[in-house]
Amino acid sequence: MTRVVIDPITRIEGHLRIDVEVDQGKINKAWASSTMFRGIERILLGRDPREAWLFTQRFCGVCTTVHALASVRAVEDALNLPIPINAQYIRNLILIAHALHDHIVHFYHLSALDWVDVTQVLKADPAKASSIAESLSDWPNNSTKEMAAVKMKVKGLVDSGQLGPFAHGYWGHPAMKLPPEVNLIAVAHYLQALEYQRYANQVVGMLGGKTPHIQNVAVGGVQNAINIDSSATLNVDRLYQMKSLLNKVVSFVQNVYVPDVCAVAGFYPDWFNYGSGVTNYLSVPDLPLDEGSTKYDLPGGFIPNGDLSKFHPITGQKDPYWRKAVTEDSEHAWYKSGGPLHPWKGETDPQFTDWKEDGKYSWVKAPRFEGQPAQVGPLANVLAGYAAGNPLMVKWTDAALGKISAIAKVKATPAMLHSTLGRHGARAVRTAVLSELAVKHWQLLTDNIVKGDSAIFNQPEFPKGEIEGVGFHEAPRGTLSHWVVIDNGAIKNYQAVVPTTWNASPRDRKGTPGPYEASLLGNPIADAAHPLEVLRTVHSFDPCMACAVHMFDPEGNNTAKVKVL
Amino acid sequence: MKTAIYGIGNILMGDDGIGPAVIHYLSSNGLLSNDVTLEDLGTPSLDLPNYLAGYDRVIFIDAVAANAPPGTIRLYSRAEIVATPPGIRISPHEPTINDALIVLDFAGGAPKDVVLVGIVPQTLVDGMTLSPAVAGAVPRAAAMVMGEVAKRYAA
Repeated sequence: MTRVVIDPITRIEGHLRIDVEVDQGKINKAWASSTMFRGIERILLGRDPREAWLFTQRFCGVCTTVHALASVRAVEDALNLPIPINAQYIRNLILIAHALHDHIVHFYHLSALDWVDVTQVLKADPAKASSIAESLSDWPNNSTKEMAAVKMKVKGLVDSGQLGPFAHGYWGHPAMKLPPEVNLIAVAHYLQALEYQRYANQVVGMLGGKTPHIQNVAVGGVQNAINIDSSATLNVDRLYQMKSLLNKVVSFVQNVYVPDVCAVAGFYPDWFNYGSGVTNYLSVPDLPLDEGSTKYDLPGGFIPNGDLSKFHPITGQKDPYWRKAVTEDSEHAWYKSGGPLHPWKGETDPQFTDWKEDGKYSWVKAPRFEGQPAQVGPLANVLAGYAAGNPLMVKWTDAALGKISAIAKVKATPAMLHSTLGRHGARAVRTAVLSELAVKHWQLLTDNIVKGDSAIFNQPEFPKGEIEGVGFHEAPRGTLSHWVVIDNGAIKNYQAVVPTTWNASPRDRKGTPGPYEASLLGNPIADAAHPLEVLRTVHSFDPCMACAVHMFDPEGNNTAKVKVL
Repeated sequence: MKTAIYGIGNILMGDDGIGPAVIHYLSSNGLLSNDVTLEDLGTPSLDLPNYLAGYDRVIFIDAVAANAPPGTIRLYSRAEIVATPPGIRISPHEPTINDALIVLDFAGGAPKDVVLVGIVPQTLVDGMTLSPAVAGAVPRAAAMVMGEVAKRYAA
């Protein structure tokens, strides 16, 4: 029996720690812990609910916009305040553009190096790489010349004795299986992804006023003045600038990202067998299509035990099924209250003990849906869309499974999505769906503005006494919800139940493990000192843990350390 | 020459907000000309390359984990920043200034002239105020930033 601990050791407390027990090459026990106290909701107590979003978007440096929007939605929900349709479309476009950017970055700049061996690029034949890439899509930047240039770039890096951005990869690991040419294609697209994700981020900036930290939302709508004839406002010119940026991103997603994920999946079919873990899936509907947020473009709901026939849709923020089902349990988390408590009654009183595998071992609480752990993220969202028969979700899921089947020469089915690779595949599917919806929501906004509607804001008014609200958003990492209690116009309680809390959940009072913990069981480990397989499964969830501190460490301790005990 | 001054850190986490606090001090005192980009970037991690590409000079202000009393200010050169190779990443939060520069050195578009004004924090817990030692370092750090800018314009 070997114990492996992956822990980002910094002078500050922080981030995600994974402990696994390996027996005969397979993981048989796993613990996920957050090593940093995250009590920043307490900063909001007593504040004006209209300004909460300015603080909540500072929760996390990766997902600033999502916390801004969940916050205004929560306050609007408490007030039963509809917002003008322009405001919905503008928010939707921001959320879509952010997600496009975020999903691209996750795959190419965080996860791809788990599957791609950069040192193999030197053995690749650029002409052969070009012909493979051209067989996957008609993206124009896959020429032999392009591939040869990227190969030279990598050669320069290797010759310098430093692997630059790739220095942290597990090169030559026995679990790396891509042919040299596919590794070359992946590095070429890694570089192109840097450029294309930036276009999506620019759209967020154009609508949000700036990035990071958008400035354009308000409880009651948005602050984007609309006048099609004025150069100082959101006008036709700007709309078309945005459209041209979106078109570039749409093309990259459909012609590069989706085919690349299918190719990686096709070469690693084994990884459809690992990483399923918790197969209760939770997602929420998003992209509202009316002022009162009663109709949505993307469905969400709960799927118990991976059984799509049991899909229970969530109709909206007002759905009592959703409002009652969420609780948080602190039995194994470093908080005083054991719970389970509903978020409106949630408490954030720290009680630190040492890391105890049978006791408290994480700063993350254990969120539960109807008392059960739930996996959130693009896979949950895609399965909900598939179960609900959403045409775009069905179209892109079937297309991706078809492509994977052709490469892997085995029949890929929706059942295989309950896996490490399934999460990557589903993220690509969701990105493709969102790329189509980007164009749709741009058109909805443009048509409505051209029609002469320039309304952007409804004035909020706070009643005397206590009101409660919840704002949800199907964020890039999954279901995000902000729960607010307002008393005489001031915040009395505020709890953010974030996607990574669902997935990185510790065990609950019944001892049931969370999604990361469950997903690692049975994963193979070829080399305990280089636990690449653990990273593959954990990265497939797109973890976003720290949501807090950023510090430069001149001693070079900013990175995760692996300890084999 | 395009110049940017970026504050890095989380304003909700005590002294981690020192970078943004120095940016706020510089902007509210109107100390820089309009052609200099002055921005509180929060905790941008994997997004950081987006804000660096296309700039020639970048001055960062960030909390640093140096072994010195709180409020100590140290200047780090580009070479010192990139000397630390990136390690294994678990989440998108871990990449930092050195990763962003290393990525752009490979991809192209990295600023050539980079310095980091680092301030040693005292407390990094939730709260929106700086500890006295670190608050006292704000004007000194701002003066150091101005000195770096002046050096470059004079050259």
